[in-house]
Amino acid sequence: MSKTALKANNSKLEWVDVIEHVYESRIDAVGLNERVASLATRSIKKESKLEALNMIVSMCDLTTLEGEDTKGKISQMSAKAVKPDPGDKSIPSVAAVCVYPSLVSIAKEKVKNSNVKVAAVSSYFPSGQVPMDSKILDTKFAIEEGADEIDIVINRKAFLEGDYRKVYDEIVELKEVCKDVHLKTILEVGDLRTYENIRKASLISLAAGSDFIKTSTGKLTVGSSRQACYVMAKAVLDYELWTGVQAGIKVAGGIRDAKDAIRYLVLINEEMGDNWLTPDLFRFGASSLLDDVLKQIRKLKTGAYQASYYFPRG
Amino acid sequence: MVNWKYSESIESSEIVNIKKKYQNYIGGKFVDPSSKKYLNTVSPSTEEILSKIPLSNQKDIDSAVKAAKTGFEKWSSITPQERSQYLFKIARLIQERSREFAVLESIDGGKPIKESRDFDLPQVAANFFYFAGWADKLDISWSAKELKPYGVVGQIIPWNFPLLMLAWKIAPALATGNTVVLKPAETTSLTALHFAELCHDAGLPAGVVNIVSGDGSTGANIVNHKDINKIAFTGSTHVGKLIQKSLAGRDVGLTLELGGKAANIVYEDAAIDQAVEGVVNGIFFNQGHVCCAGSRLLLQESIHDQFIKKLEKRMQTLRVGNPLDKNTDIGAINSKEQLDKITSLVNEGVSDGGDLFQIECELPGNGFWFRPSLFTNVQPSYSIAREEIFGPVLTTLTFRTPEEAIEIANNTEYGLSAGVWTEKGSKILWTADRLEAGVVWANTFNKFDPSSPFGGYKESGFGREGGRHGLLSYLKASL
Amino acid sequence: MIEIKKTYKNYVDGKYVRSESGKTYSVKLGNEHFELPLTSRKDIRDAVVSSKSGFKKWNSTSPYTRTQILYRLSEMLEGNRKSYLSILQNSSFTKKYAEKDFENSIQKIIWFAGLADKWEQLVGNLNPVSGEYFNISHQNPIGVVFSLNKNTISLSQLILSILPPLTVGCSVISLSNDSGLLALKFAEDINNSDLPPGVLNILSGDFTKLIDDVSKHVEISLVSIHDNLSQEAIKKIEVNASESVKRVKINPSTEGISSILPYLETKTVWHPKGT
Repeated sequence: MSKTALKANNSKLEWVDVIEHVYESRIDAVGLNERVASLATRSIKKESKLEALNMIVSMCDLTTLEGEDTKGKISQMSAKAVKPDPGDKSIPSVAAVCVYPSLVSIAKEKVKNSNVKVAAVSSYFPSGQVPMDSKILDTKFAIEEGADEIDIVINRKAFLEGDYRKVYDEIVELKEVCKDVHLKTILEVGDLRTYENIRKASLISLAAGSDFIKTSTGKLTVGSSRQACYVMAKAVLDYELWTGVQAGIKVAGGIRDAKDAIRYLVLINEEMGDNWLTPDLFRFGASSLLDDVLKQIRKLKTGAYQASYYFPRG
Repeated sequence: MVNWKYSESIESSEIVNIKKKYQNYIGGKFVDPSSKKYLNTVSPSTEEILSKIPLSNQKDIDSAVKAAKTGFEKWSSITPQERSQYLFKIARLIQERSREFAVLESIDGGKPIKESRDFDLPQVAANFFYFAGWADKLDISWSAKELKPYGVVGQIIPWNFPLLMLAWKIAPALATGNTVVLKPAETTSLTALHFAELCHDAGLPAGVVNIVSGDGSTGANIVNHKDINKIAFTGSTHVGKLIQKSLAGRDVGLTLELGGKAANIVYEDAAIDQAVEGVVNGIFFNQGHVCCAGSRLLLQESIHDQFIKKLEKRMQTLRVGNPLDKNTDIGAINSKEQLDKITSLVNEGVSDGGDLFQIECELPGNGFWFRPSLFTNVQPSYSIAREEIFGPVLTTLTFRTPEEAIEIANNTEYGLSAGVWTEKGSKILWTADRLEAGVVWANTFNKFDPSSPFGGYKESGFGREGGRHGLLSYLKASL
Repeated sequence: MIEIKKTYKNYVDGKYVRSESGKTYSVKLGNEHFELPLTSRKDIRDAVVSSKSGFKKWNSTSPYTRTQILYRLSEMLEGNRKSYLSILQNSSFTKKYAEKDFENSIQKIIWFAGLADKWEQLVGNLNPVSGEYFNISHQNPIGVVFSLNKNTISLSQLILSILPPLTVGCSVISLSNDSGLLALKFAEDINNSDLPPGVLNILSGDFTKLIDDVSKHVEISLVSIHDNLSQEAIKKIEVNASESVKRVKINPSTEGISSILPYLETKTVWHPKGT
């Protein structure tokens, strides 16, 4: 099966243009929190809920990023990515599996007859605290192994030291390595802390050519939040205004249940519009989320609450 | 890409029992109006006749005022601590019956359940809680020697926040030792009449709270009653002026909370996305039936186009429809009369030359509805830039400098509220100082709290409601 | 001994002016008659124009400076103690009464002078609202105040009908009838007190002929009546006032904090607290 190519961000903004926008990052935290809280009061029931749950499945990057990952573990997960619920054929495949570079080839093999993509984390995920040459090597390796998508981390050291130019330049360099391979840039919002920082990092990453911006590595206690997602959504919309490019958002880290995931969908739907309700532009990085979503789908269809053992391990 | 539609999510109305016919609450008893006349009360979202409410006449007001006079003796004879405890008790009962009141408010008035449930009712309870605690602390509330209640207070309230306006009136009046005769608005009397039951259940002494429904003539009977000691009115500036005139030469206290045409000033260095939210909340909250609504958007010219683009996009996500749907943002316009007024002003705005943007959405077949609307290319002389529309209609004006923003903002007979958006602290303070408005929301809008005084400058009225300052509205100036 | 008989004039916008009508009325002081300006409709209009600009200046004067200017007023009065005493005594008061009235006036001016930089601390406060908000209620002076002086000759009464609004930053148009001479004498001291022109305008005349001109004037924000008017007159004022929701205060308190409350508008400002 041939895989559809994702849209690429080919309209990099020059540094002089982006820096002006970066310094104009103004956010009122209280107003933002209130808006996000009010979006969470949407009541998604019945058909709209089923539709949402199916969307969430199709937007999942099923992920394992552990030192203990083995061929067996990746094979299991990849099989589940292709057929999340063998008992219900109407449920779509997930968007991608997300693994370390050394496991890309195994995942590739297992998903080859599906539309599921393989994403690799690179640039010395999760800290990124290595010289640039190493990040380039890491990324090149993942691409050579067959990765369809590359998830990199921004240089938080440089960012927090105020060296925004370095953050930008590094992403530009990695984008050149990636070429048409889809580039997702992780901001690690838990390290950035303030909404202004999240917006600045979003704009820098987008301007440097990222196809997606992603909230978190999933390795911190502070993972994704709907507030951070909101900030990123607004940055993506502004970037579209300036360049015409529609970039994507991936939320990852701490999204464990369907209810929370639906709230993200509501946020994207109302703040960005249903253009963005596609795996091409919105993803969930998740390990345990998928199981809860599958349970909820079956609950909606059968009316009964479900047990985990009805669903295969991933 | 998908077209994801939210399914209906309707709040059950089983919780509320609407009677076929209501009675006045006078002197601790539920009584038929001596007029024997009733008004139909209609659901603005379906046009269905919900019930009948008394159309009270002079005799009914006589007996209510008499009951309040008797009630005042009783209310004055108990201790401040006891008065405080009654108010606390009412606050608790409201919390317990909150969902019932919220549903009733949405059915009778047309506001979205999201707002009646998450805003109106929590604020109603909060007002009783807040003023309950003042009842036994009046002696330390102001550095003044003698504080005295007026006695019998006549209160006339509007239809936009029926139960909340009741709370704004009754809680401070009772806390300061007055007794009340309250008339709810004729289109939205049901929650007030249910509140009467709650007072009864709380064991409030007879005559302390009297609730009589009716129309404008009923209100006039209250204002003109010889034994009324004070009038508190919230409503239009037109009626407020008539009341002030009626009371001329009489020793009757008066507070007025009237209309507004608030400027919501957005400077170019604002947090734009939050400003868009604030502007939306400022004008579309409660269908724009808000006296302090931010109905004049003042945009710095440099950000006009970008801001309007974002605003229109955001407006398009507003969901108009059944007030009982939990996902409804904009409910029904309160009455046919109000809908006609909004329609006519908007038509005038278009014929004056304003550019009108209205969101695309389906409107229900029955009921009174108006699409959220935005005017651009408006001159300050247009009626839509000067008159209170009291509906979901925002008018945009532009300015070049802070000085010009202030001139435009203050160029109105109203002075109830204003908004200012900038991330520059000193500009906020500079602007707030110069705005002639009783409430200034900086980097936020339409925020309310029982502890926060509310009320207008100029022709938006006088006196404050809420907070320590709100006590003075119900205490005689013999301080 | 009284000074040489002189022509008293209205005090408007820092200048001594005759009524544009050219009309005067006569008051008796001791054995002498003095002609005072009979303020006309147009004089009121001019005074309001002056008071509007006076309000801007006075309202933007720092509280500390206002305190000093008001205190200086007491010094100016003190320097003219003799003239005041002679006016009071020639108005058939005893020396003791005159001295007491004068003494009282000085005390009141000093009291209000010292309040000018404090009242905001007494009437404003933070409000403990729910949520992440800073919320403060502070006060703005209401604007141009018209004050009708009591129709008895008393310096302290005159002072008390003017000082409360003045202290909080309002500009004041003060009208006196029988006590006009004393008021216009007082106006002479104002001119030497550094009070900016237009902050305090002092007129003499017959209020009953000016009721409509005053109470219908939209740019007068508040009318305070310190005299005992007929019910009919009060009703007329209040009916007129209702056309522009004008505030009317009948015999407002001149004591303590409650003396300044009528002249204040409470402004509540909200701001979020966030990072």
